[in-house]
Parts: sequence; structure tokens; C-alpha cells
Amino acid sequence: MPALTKRRFLQLAGLSIAPRILPKRLWAAASREAQSARKVIIVTFGGGVRYSETFAPEGVHNIPRLVDMKPKGLFFKSCTNAGVLSHYNSTGSILTGNWQRVDDFGFQPPATPTIFEYYRKQTGAGPSDAWAIATNKSFSLIGSGADRTLGQPYGANVVLPKQLLLEAVEGVVKNNAGAGVASRENVLQHLETILSEGYEGVGWTIFKAGGQLDRTVRNTLTHALVEYINGPEAPSSGDELTFFIAREVMREFSPRLMLVNFWDMDVAHWGSYSLYLQAITKTDRLTGMLWEEIQSNPSYKDRTTMLVLPELGRDGDINAANGFLNHRSGDPSCRNMWLLAMGAAPGEIERPVFHVDLAATTAELLGFKAGEITGRPMREILS
Amino acid sequence: MAAESKLSPALQALVDKGLFDRLPPTFSTFFFEQIQEWDTLFPAERSYHERLFALIDRSDTALVEKLFEPLRRVEQVMGVNERSWPRRHFTLEQVDFLNRSPHYPEWRKTVADIFAQLDPLLEAEVARKGHARLVVVVAPAELPVGPDRMWLRIRQHGKRIPLEPPEDVADYLPLLLTGAARKDGAHSISAMCAMAKEPYAAWSIEAGGGLSDPGNPSALVALSYDKLREYRARLTNEVTHILKTQEVRGPRQLLAKLKELKIRASEGDVGRDPVLAEFTRATLLSGNGTLLINNTFVEWSTVQAVRRARPSATVVSFGIRNKIKPFTSLLIYADQETANPIPTQMDTLGTYVDLEIFYQYIWQEFEKYAEYRHNTAYLFVGEGMDEMLAIAPADFPLLAAAQPVKLGQVFGTMKDWMNL
Repeated sequence: MPALTKRRFLQLAGLSIAPRILPKRLWAAASREAQSARKVIIVTFGGGVRYSETFAPEGVHNIPRLVDMKPKGLFFKSCTNAGVLSHYNSTGSILTGNWQRVDDFGFQPPATPTIFEYYRKQTGAGPSDAWAIATNKSFSLIGSGADRTLGQPYGANVVLPKQLLLEAVEGVVKNNAGAGVASRENVLQHLETILSEGYEGVGWTIFKAGGQLDRTVRNTLTHALVEYINGPEAPSSGDELTFFIAREVMREFSPRLMLVNFWDMDVAHWGSYSLYLQAITKTDRLTGMLWEEIQSNPSYKDRTTMLVLPELGRDGDINAANGFLNHRSGDPSCRNMWLLAMGAAPGEIERPVFHVDLAATTAELLGFKAGEITGRPMREILS
Repeated sequence: MAAESKLSPALQALVDKGLFDRLPPTFSTFFFEQIQEWDTLFPAERSYHERLFALIDRSDTALVEKLFEPLRRVEQVMGVNERSWPRRHFTLEQVDFLNRSPHYPEWRKTVADIFAQLDPLLEAEVARKGHARLVVVVAPAELPVGPDRMWLRIRQHGKRIPLEPPEDVADYLPLLLTGAARKDGAHSISAMCAMAKEPYAAWSIEAGGGLSDPGNPSALVALSYDKLREYRARLTNEVTHILKTQEVRGPRQLLAKLKELKIRASEGDVGRDPVLAEFTRATLLSGNGTLLINNTFVEWSTVQAVRRARPSATVVSFGIRNKIKPFTSLLIYADQETANPIPTQMDTLGTYVDLEIFYQYIWQEFEKYAEYRHNTAYLFVGEGMDEMLAIAPADFPLLAAAQPVKLGQVFGTMKDWMNL
């Protein structure tokens, strides 16, 4: 396809909205501060994956990048999800430090405040400093909780790349233009259209007021889309776009707190074990690339803790409804996960920890108090 | 209970005498809701419900109270009351209530403990009436491996039997399943079983249409992913339409809306039988990829058939899954063939990986039930292969085979095993 430059794309998209986030001088000051402080990136290695396909002896061949990273990080052998086994509630529990029991499909915000809100309110961090990039398209409300004393004004920017991609592909298929989705340019053109016109309906909650994206944000996202579509490995999945957008947000805004939610391995619901395994390996690669980005980005290198964990597992092969296809039995295969903390002193920890402990740990790392939460800080990461 | 109830007299009598109202609500309402679908339950399901509640009814009251006491305690902690749990109603709200309760794991364990005590008693009744059963699982010829790489997860439970394949591979399955060459058009083992046994006793579940025989008796339950194409397309379109035009909170609510989308008689033979029509609808809309992937349909249909109908003879035939196309794979409810002009390609290696775990799931599912334990011959076959895997009781004759066995001989052994 003909090269589509960033400049041309910006022209096509008609991006002429003035910056509205912060005056430039404040922006620069905030950026300097953000670049020098500790940062936390939480990666949900997700969509639901079992120990047996990851860090169990028979599963390590699926995750070569994580296996390579493990000796350089702090590995918690047992990280338990004791909450509701849906993606939204599980991720909400990680972000709030309390077991969430709200609507499974994201029609309600978490019942208690998220770490994004505590962080931003207590530190005065701006809206560019907390992000949630989520492949799961039902995560539009994950950036802030229902508590009215905090809530959306202090929440994270939420980006749902897969929803954007879905809308674009659907548009191409409906119009049946030329080579359809076989042409990446067709897909890109639809992505452009959505970004310039209709993003509000596909899950963006970035600094929005009146349905307009901030220019800097839009430029950032645009660049990520172009990189994604023109990627050397012909990417086509939601998680790959999530990675590209997360990386671009890191390069442009250097947020101190970010959730990157991978989700493609939930393809397991389709009942194809090989597709599930492929998705695991792809997520492994993207997680490795994210760590590489941290290592090569001066704003993150040597000051970032990356916490990688599956938000939930999947049913076991024995005595479950239908094994890897689902995650509803509540058996140990669904609940017993692992946690890899990169940026912490290397080692392995036998002590069981819980998903809700991530919020408390993040609060300690970033220097804020997380209110009344169930989780406890993981001292091993802090020391 | 309404006067127009269609329950069996025995079960109706138990309802009328208040048995369900005396049991813990989370237990009794689930079953009460299940039996409201009496008309679309298989005979095996009806029998199970009758035996379960007859057992509870005839058991000593003090023992029954003791059995359910832990569940009552959990229900109390969970906040189950008349308001949160209306009597004789088990709706999506109740499902959500259970799922979101902090005590859900405890509740599940308590219910499992109850069945751990009830099931052996019910299974003993079943085992007393046990008879020989047969399961044949066929893998497609296109798999890129030989028998040495097949059935790896379960082979330790059985024995690899050497076979003598026919010269014409087109005759492989006919010889195995009918004992004759394709041109002879003989009845298959499942068709023979269907004619000889009770309704829903013989099932043929396949990805393609190779097992279908126009001369099959109507008593044979024949499900084919390919032959349900028209129905699948309609369901796909309806799902897309509902998602785009109506407010649907989630998959469960979506399923409730789709409950009425029954198969039409013109869309498949199973449409003529209300029990099978509902079975097919539920299987395709279970949210487990059954609409999208041929082998998922085959596996889930088999698992559901075992759970619900307990067939005596089951022939299962997998196909090759197509590769997932870039981008359009995101559109779950789109026809991949028309949505993307890229030519469709077979994913033979992916299919091999998919099937290896499905063999295990299918075998495990059968073995969960007393009807199958110790009296079922499982034959795992790869079309064209010179070996098959047999997991069977020690007296299954083929286990003794030392020399390659002809497929006609395998058919004869199956026929004898089933007393046909």
C-alpha cells in the first residue's frame, strides 16, 4: 500500500482542534516531574489463561519472552483471584484493591475508587498521567469508580483500541470496498474516519468534553494507528493495536500509572485450543516488547515497575464444564495465577498474594494512600 | 404449580405435596425451573429428575435435613430470602446473585458435596441396568500426523490396534461404520442401533456430511454442522441484528432474547422433533464458538448429548477447521467467507492441536456417568490410518488383536458388542 505519512493522515483527519489539556508551560513542568518519578505499569496478561499453559513446566514453551524475563524480575508463584471470575470484575479488583462484584459486562463502574483516582487526587497529577489501554471493549468504565467524592474527574483516560478496530473492519465489510479488509489501506481509512468523527461511540474517554479529542492525544493515537497498520508483521488483532497505542502513549505522555489490558486469548471461548495457544504466545511477545520499550525509553528506564499477571485463569481439564473454553467453574485452575514484577529485585516468592494486593502495592510505589482496601502491599516488591 | 403442568404424574405428585418448597431455595428453584421445560427434556433427563426427587422424598426426613443443612447455612450468609430469591423462580437475576456473592465458592462446594452423597445412590440404580455402549470418534484424513502422534492425552488408557486399511481410502469409513464398501450403501452401526433401541439412543454428530445417509432411520439423531448451514446463517444474522438494534446487557440477556429462534423444519431434519430442535438451538447459542467453528460444534454437541440424552451408540466425526482470516476474525457474527475476499485455507495443524484436547474432553465426559463406566468401548480412529486407539473393558475382543485388523472386522466386533 502507498505510504501514509503522519502529516498526510493528520490532514485527512482534519485535526485542527487547539490543545485543551494544559497550558504548554504547565505541560512541560508536569512532564519533567513525571519523567523523574517512579512509574507503574500493570499488564493484565489476559483474556484468561491457565497456569498449565504458562508457567507450569508443560506450558513454558508458550511464553518464551516471559520465561526470559522471569530471572530478571520478582516472581510470585501464587497470586490468587478470590473474586468474581469475569474479566471486568477481576480487572476492577486489581485496580481498586477490593473484590468487585458489579455488572460482569462493564455496565457499571467499579463500586470503589480505583488507584487512578487516589493517585491523581492526592498527587495533583494531570489527566495525561493515568491511562487504561484495554483490548476488552467492555472496559469503558474501568478508569474510575462509583464513589462521587472521586470518580471520573480523577480517573484514567480509557482507550479501547479493539472497539475502534471493530468499527473500522465492520465499516469496510459493510461497504465491501475493493479488496475489503484484505487491503490494509481500506482498514486504515476507516480508522481515520472514526478517529476524526465518531470516536465517542467506540469507547474513547480521553479528556473528552463535547466529543473532541485533544490534539496531542489525537496525534498520538493517529501515529499508533499508522504504525500498527504498517507494522512489519501485518498485525491484525486487538492486542497488537493495544500495544501500539500503549507504546505511543508512553512515548508522548510518559504516564506514571498505566493499565495495559491484553485480551486476545479469550478466543478460547471459540473452542480452538490452537488459537488459544497462539494468542498466549502473541501476548507473551507483546509483553516482552512492552518491557523492551520500558528499557529503551529514558522516561521509564530504571524507574518503572511492571506488574504482569493474568486477571483470571480458565477451567481445568478435569471435571469442569468444558475445560479451557470457559472460566466459570471457580476451580483452582480459574483462580490460581502468578505475578511477575519487573523492576523489582529478582527472586521467587512462595508466599501467596492476591489480585487485590496490586492496588496497595502500586499506592506504596507511587506514594499515595489507597483508602480502605482489602489488599495489602507486597513488601517484597517495595524493598 | 399450574393445573396444566405437563410433568410426569410421579414428579407432579412430589411438587403437589410441597417437596420442592421444603428444600433450600437455591437447590430447589434451579430444578424447578429445569422441569418447567419438561416437553423438551430427553427421556434420560426426565428419568434423572424423577429418580432424584423420589430418592429425596423417600429418604428419612432427618437425613435429608442433615444433608441440606450446610446449604441452608450458606444461603443464610449469602442473604437468600423471599425477596432476593422469589419462590419457584430461577432467573438470570438469581444466576447473577450467586455469581457475585462473596460466598459463591462456598456455595458451589456445598452443592457439590450434596451431589457427592446423592449421586452414588442414583448411579447404583443406573449401574444395575447397565448395558454395552459404543463411542466412535473419527478424525479427518487431512491431519498432518501419523497415528504415533495421535490421541496423546488419552492413549495411556487404551491400546493402539493395528488396522488394515482398504486400498481405496474412500471406503475407509464405510467399511468401518457399515461393514461394506461405499457403493453398497449399507446401514451404519449407529443407524442399526437407532432402529433396535429406544428413541435418542443413537447419535451421529459430524462436522461435514460424510456420515449422513439418505436411508438413515428417523430414529437416528443426526447432527451435521455443514447441513445446519442455513440455520446457522439465520442465527448469525439475528444475533447481529439484535446486537445492533436492541439494548442487550450481556450474553445471558442475549440468550434469553434468542430463546425463540427455533430451527425451522426446512433448515434441518432435527427441526421436526421439538426436543432435538431445542437441543440444536441451545447448542448453537451456548456462546462456546459452536456457531463459528465446526469442531467446536461437534465437541459441544457430543458433550451435551452425553449429559442430557445418554446415548448408547455415538459416532462423532470431526473435520478440518479453516484458518481465521485477518481482521474479519474480530467480527464474531460475520460470515468469514463473504466478509473477506482472501481465499479460505484449511488449518490442518491447528485442527490437529484442537482435536487432541477434544478427544480427552469427550472421553472424560462419557466417563463421568455411571451409564458408561466399565461397559463402553471407545474407538478413536483417524480416517486412512493403519492404527486406531481402543479404550474398552478387558473383554472387548479387539484388545487382543496382535495382527492388523480389517475394518469390516472392526464393524463386526462393534455390532456384536452392541448385540445388534
